[in-house]
Amino acid sequence: MESKTNKYGVSHAIQRQIDRTSYLFLLPMLIFFLGFVIIPMGMGIFTSFFDYTMSSFRFIGLKNYLDLFSDPKFLRSFWNTFVIVVVSVPSVTIFSLWVASLIYDKNAWVTSTFRGVFYLPVVTGTVPVVVVWKWIFDKYAGILNYVLVSLGVIEKNIAWLGNKDTAIWCILVILFTTSIGQPIVLYISSLANIDNSMLEAAEVDGASNLRTFWQIKWPSILPTTLYVVVITTINSFQCFALIQLLTSGGPVYSTSTIMYYLYDNAFSLYRYGYANAMGVLLAIVIGLFSILQFKSIKSNVEY
Amino acid sequence: MKKFTAIALSLLLVLFASPLFGSGSKEAAPAASDGTVTITWWAFPTFGQDPGKPAGSYEAELVKAFEAANPTIKVKLETIDFTSGPQKLTAAIEGGTAPDVLFDAPGRIIEYGRNGKLVKLDDLFTASYKSDVGNADLLAACSDGASYWMYPISASPFYMGINKEMWEKAGALQYVNLEGDRTWTTDDFIKAMEALGKAGNIGISVYCGGQGGDQGTRALVSNLYGATIANKENTRYTMNSTEGAKALQLLKDLADKEYIDAGLSIAAAEELQLFAQQQISATICWGTSNAKNYATNAFTQVSVPFPSNDGVPSLEYLVNGFCVFDNKDAARAEAAKKFITFISDDAVWGPKNVVQTGAFPVRSSFGDLYPGNPEYNLLASWTKYYGGYYNTMPGFAAMRTEWWNMLQYVFTGEKTVAKALADYDKNANAVFAK
Amino acid sequence: MLKQRLNLYRAIMMLVLIIISLLFIFPFYWIITGAFKIQKVAIQMPPQWFPTEPTFANFTELFLNPALAWFLNSVFMSLASMLLVCLTSAMAGYVLAKKQFSGRAIVFAVIIAAMALPKQVVLVPLVRIMNSIGMYNTAWAVILPAVGWPFGVFLMKQFAQTVPTEILDAARIDGSNEWMTFVRIVTPIIKPAYGALAIFTFISTWNDYFLQLVMLQSRSKLTIALGVATLQAEMATNYGVIMAGAALGALPIVTIFLLFQKYFASGITMGAVKG
Repeated sequence: MESKTNKYGVSHAIQRQIDRTSYLFLLPMLIFFLGFVIIPMGMGIFTSFFDYTMSSFRFIGLKNYLDLFSDPKFLRSFWNTFVIVVVSVPSVTIFSLWVASLIYDKNAWVTSTFRGVFYLPVVTGTVPVVVVWKWIFDKYAGILNYVLVSLGVIEKNIAWLGNKDTAIWCILVILFTTSIGQPIVLYISSLANIDNSMLEAAEVDGASNLRTFWQIKWPSILPTTLYVVVITTINSFQCFALIQLLTSGGPVYSTSTIMYYLYDNAFSLYRYGYANAMGVLLAIVIGLFSILQFKSIKSNVEY
Repeated sequence: MKKFTAIALSLLLVLFASPLFGSGSKEAAPAASDGTVTITWWAFPTFGQDPGKPAGSYEAELVKAFEAANPTIKVKLETIDFTSGPQKLTAAIEGGTAPDVLFDAPGRIIEYGRNGKLVKLDDLFTASYKSDVGNADLLAACSDGASYWMYPISASPFYMGINKEMWEKAGALQYVNLEGDRTWTTDDFIKAMEALGKAGNIGISVYCGGQGGDQGTRALVSNLYGATIANKENTRYTMNSTEGAKALQLLKDLADKEYIDAGLSIAAAEELQLFAQQQISATICWGTSNAKNYATNAFTQVSVPFPSNDGVPSLEYLVNGFCVFDNKDAARAEAAKKFITFISDDAVWGPKNVVQTGAFPVRSSFGDLYPGNPEYNLLASWTKYYGGYYNTMPGFAAMRTEWWNMLQYVFTGEKTVAKALADYDKNANAVFAK
Repeated sequence: MLKQRLNLYRAIMMLVLIIISLLFIFPFYWIITGAFKIQKVAIQMPPQWFPTEPTFANFTELFLNPALAWFLNSVFMSLASMLLVCLTSAMAGYVLAKKQFSGRAIVFAVIIAAMALPKQVVLVPLVRIMNSIGMYNTAWAVILPAVGWPFGVFLMKQFAQTVPTEILDAARIDGSNEWMTFVRIVTPIIKPAYGALAIFTFISTWNDYFLQLVMLQSRSKLTIALGVATLQAEMATNYGVIMAGAALGALPIVTIFLLFQKYFASGITMGAVKG
């Protein structure tokens, strides 16, 4: 008898049947997953060890990876990516929490109006948002220069996207406006779900606003915060359209990101192997970040 | 379970094997049963369009005429732009879905040919054809030294365009030469920029935000003090010279004084718009086709060559032409060749097409296609100022990227002129070090 | 006293928030109004805050391009990805949550690991794969990788876990086969998850500029996002026409969003809480 059951306490015949139906259900998804995620990933890793260009395909071991670390343009792009993540993650998180806490307890109409406003850039779509910002930042025909000059903030028109000190901030501003929609929605629902009786009790006790926040609200919104941090991190790492459409990574690589540099190498310079090595490296970095963040979710939150 | 594993594995194999280890060539679209062959044509916006017509309108007419003359060949037209077009081409070549015919210029075409992606066109370059062209430089621009890869149709110089009224108002018009060949000197150029700048105008914009139209900035920099982009043998990029440094320093100084603009976030398309909108007083990316596309009644556009120290410019020129991609299908390659010879040589459409590119025919037998047009006669006479042709050199694509980034380094002050040039020299010439 | 000061503080904060909101609306406003300005007006300084002589010229010029086809392509890609993702994810999520099949742990681990990876890593190989199956430069080259991305599976699995096992057992005893159980019992229970996933997939496919850029070439096969980007490349600073394109790309989704904001909000929240 015993030999006929497995660790789940199910007989082998039944287990086979479960396996069959399960894999049938999984099959459609697995085909797409294997064909368009796993296999290309394998190919990407494989070819990253090759001198792979338009006309050559030659095994060169780790050379692509080693070259990356002595390529100042790549290092600059890596640094820029890092800056984008480090600036946008906290600013998005804090700002969206601030907005949400101001509006979550107002009447439904107010809440949904503000929520709609901040979600607007997401539904407008990346490209429409980017092209209108390009116009706003335009040195000659842009409204930003007009307003700032009229107000006396700046003396003369600035080429916002053509200045190595301002270009990255332009990118960050646009990224910011397109990134906070989802976090605000999440925070509103998370704040609204806090147990009211606890808040009332705190008020009766005469607890200060700050204390109420840290002791009661913060623990309940922690899971949301961690989720917001994870998605904002991943989005920031993948910042591409803004750069391709606005600055082509310039001036002097001040806005080049790993994603953009990868695209440029693959499609402007025909260096496929090198680009794939970059992709693998980026995947590893994002993977490490995600593991760290998933770990902290697990240790902080019960799901 | 076994069955599923088998199915999954075989699916994996099918997907895995073909793309990675296959030759990368696309499955040849088999000739239809009625014997018609379909070819694909990708066109950069080299043909001008009639006013108010969208991209590709003229090309569509041309295709119709060809199909009427060759009922067994169907041509599928795709228009691409200069900004994302080059990357799309790369993706298509890598994906194995390259077009059959591409209308472009030697820069990319020779690179593709050198990398074995094209069909050799040596059989089209007959002795009589060569003698009809009668220009060794032009013929050399169509080959990598071993084979011909591009079938040319027309050529025209790159030069500058100025806003006459704006220059007049700023008192700068006295510095340009509107007589004879209109050649002028660097000193005059500096004075003109000063006059324009002091009158509150922006002289020019040295655009360097991308690679679109970058030949204009190279022509300006090289002409100012007689620097060269490449040596005569086309074996080295040579901008890192005293003359080159002097020219860059001049432009940097003019930009710092705000007489001219460092177009760090724009490429030629934007620069031309700024010129057309009278936000800058001159363009360094003027040419016959741009003059057509950006024509306006708002002001007078005057063509002038690039200023040079000795008053003898060395002009870059555009050669428009076609290449045929090797899609491993003899029938398609034949059809494609037929198509490009139709475009370039047909008794009716050949000259018409040349005019539509706004340039001058490569075949001398076409004669003067712009009779009674003094402007075009002048431009045609500039042929004597044509400089060496470096667009077919190895590493051209990489050099271009290095070039506009070098300009960015100079204008932002991130690097000194000397350092920026030295780095450019090293990176651009890396291809020859191998 | 304290209460008054608190109220004043809140009032000021609300005011700040309103100002910031206006800044957030502005780009959208600028797209819509810019679409009705002729080029001369679009670049004039001082700018025209509201188009005093609205013109349809930009739209006329826009529709010289296959703009309608671009728009429909975007709709088709987004809808197709949405349907396929919902179906494949729900089926896979259900068995991952409820079936103790062999290899389950491995399959799930691989899916989780792949979720964190950036799509762009697989870019160059994906171009070759699409070509080898003859789908390069077709809508499917954008749809299929979107379906392959396993976020939906994870979401559906989390939801399907809430389906009581007793109901499933009861159904089996009643003689319902697995497929009927999935359709008749599981699907209604996880309906909210379908909604969340549908919204999420639709928007992310609509906005997946990168994949569209690499996979689509023919002018007639572009999406509205790519089309607008192409217009920008061709027309440089001819902002009126570019804004007309941007408006065409943005308005429909924005309208749908404004009409169904409640569902968007709950969809987004659900996707996150369970994700």
